[in-house]
Amino acid sequence: MTSSAQLCGAEGQHHPMLSFHGLTKQYTDGVKALDGVTFDVPRGEFCVILGPSGSGKSTLLRTLNGLTSLSSGCIAVDGVELKPKSLRSVQRRVAMVHQQFNLVERLDVAQNVMSGTVADAAFWRVLLKWYPKSLRERACDLIARVGLDELHLTRRMGELSGGQQQRVGIARAFLLDPDVILADEPVASLDPATSRDVLTLLRDAARERGTTVLCSLHQLDLALDFADRIIAMRSGSIIFDGRPDALDRSTVASIYEGSGLEQSRVAA
Amino acid sequence: MDMSNPPRPSLERRREINWHLPAPYTWRTLVLLIAVAGLLLVSARRVDIDKFLALSAEAIAAQLGLRESSQVGRGLARIGKDLFPITLSYRTDVSRVADFDEAKLPWLAYVETVEHREYRMNPDTTKLEETVSPKKVMVEPLGYLTLTVGKMIETIEIAIWATILAVLLSIPLAYLGAANYTPNRAIYAIARGTVSLLRAIPELISALFLVLAFGFGPVAGFLALGLHGAGFLGKFYAEDIEAADKKPQDALRALGASKVRVLRLAVLPQVMPSYIAYTLYILDRNVRMATVIGLVGAGGIGQELKGRYDLFEYGNVGTILVVIFVTVFVLDQISARLRARLIA
Repeated sequence: MTSSAQLCGAEGQHHPMLSFHGLTKQYTDGVKALDGVTFDVPRGEFCVILGPSGSGKSTLLRTLNGLTSLSSGCIAVDGVELKPKSLRSVQRRVAMVHQQFNLVERLDVAQNVMSGTVADAAFWRVLLKWYPKSLRERACDLIARVGLDELHLTRRMGELSGGQQQRVGIARAFLLDPDVILADEPVASLDPATSRDVLTLLRDAARERGTTVLCSLHQLDLALDFADRIIAMRSGSIIFDGRPDALDRSTVASIYEGSGLEQSRVAA
Repeated sequence: MDMSNPPRPSLERRREINWHLPAPYTWRTLVLLIAVAGLLLVSARRVDIDKFLALSAEAIAAQLGLRESSQVGRGLARIGKDLFPITLSYRTDVSRVADFDEAKLPWLAYVETVEHREYRMNPDTTKLEETVSPKKVMVEPLGYLTLTVGKMIETIEIAIWATILAVLLSIPLAYLGAANYTPNRAIYAIARGTVSLLRAIPELISALFLVLAFGFGPVAGFLALGLHGAGFLGKFYAEDIEAADKKPQDALRALGASKVRVLRLAVLPQVMPSYIAYTLYILDRNVRMATVIGLVGAGGIGQELKGRYDLFEYGNVGTILVVIFVTVFVLDQISARLRARLIA
């Protein structure tokens, strides 16, 4: 039997941006959130993980930056296998956009975006929240890029709408120019129109920079419209992997079967 | 039967659902209430609540003219008579002022000649005789008030330094005593234990011992208050760290940030308003406690109060009490405004 390290390591010269091999995650309460998940994501792809609640989407994303540990299997980012030793360096290349935005309520927009450098900046800079000019300028550029204006810089999170907050979350994710962005249900708490705006922003910003995006979604229509590729999951396993136009009705039905979302989603 | 008219769901039909909706109170609640009331009655006897009621009733009756006088009324009247008028001036025997020069008196001061009465034994008759001699006294009209205010400022300084000490000590204690940031269980237990211990020792008791260690004066006072405050702040700071919203912390952890950095950027902004509130409360409390702590010799206005009280100089005690009252009142207003300003 080949060791997982060999499977995850260099597969020739051209390794994919992300490589997952045989991921299994069993929580202490016995729930199996991931069950032998294996796939690669090439550089620059906008890859959507589709599935109902509890299908293991979040767990999959969180294994990549160490928020959740794996029971077995391995992950490689740009050919570097994820190990406790390499975790820090991987975390700096992988940014995350969260479902609940996970911004600091009592910090303003600029400070929230600049907090993306928390692991990189000198400690005294973090302590005083005093970042170098280049970073401040970059934060401003990003805040402008995500569609906010100068007036928003010193606004606190609580004063912004959900859509604006997620824009800030996206700006924070892009701050250190990551190779990969993990978006965990980035639009789940937004209304449908705002969801499209935010996903468009995320996809376009990623394309401009060649950033690979791994985005979990539970809305089929959004997945079909935005994904370069859809990976559908159910009960911790992949049940479909391909281009959006290859996704047929019966597959969709099986994704949401018995999940209560069945009718509404298939009808959509 | 008319099929186009489906049977309406009636109340009768609902009875088929055999749910049990528990009553908000049961007989157990009643038993518990009776038991608590019984215990309170027993306890009331022990703390002389009955005596308090009897004396208060007597005082009210005296006020209404139903009784000639009351014990409480007499007591209060005596306090009033002793404390007021308060002593604002400072009188010094001229003969006791070093290098006294009537042309160079301190500001506002004047010299008063008083009759000095003295009983002396006449060696011829071996009887006490009253002799009257004129005596010059230097009077500084606001001398004692100035001295008291100076002591009050010293008291506030003790309180401020005690608060600074409390904050400095409690920051590491809070970090080590927050379950989700502590390096390990043992350090957590030690930190929480220290915090409990610091809080468990009353300031007045620790001041008593610190006076033995550091001598009379403000050092013992500010240490006693600071240590107690650290016990309070350490506990509340730590609990706020534990209760802070986890989502922003997750986000920064995902970027590979160390615990201290996450604490700084994701936790501190969240807990800052309540930290300011706790700290201002401790400052407020320290000012009040610093006035008391002087009673055991730990500096500040309390030491002056104790001295005057022991000399039966109740007029001076009155001045001190008025100054304390005014100070606490003014500081209350200031801290309320500060709070409103800082917690925005």
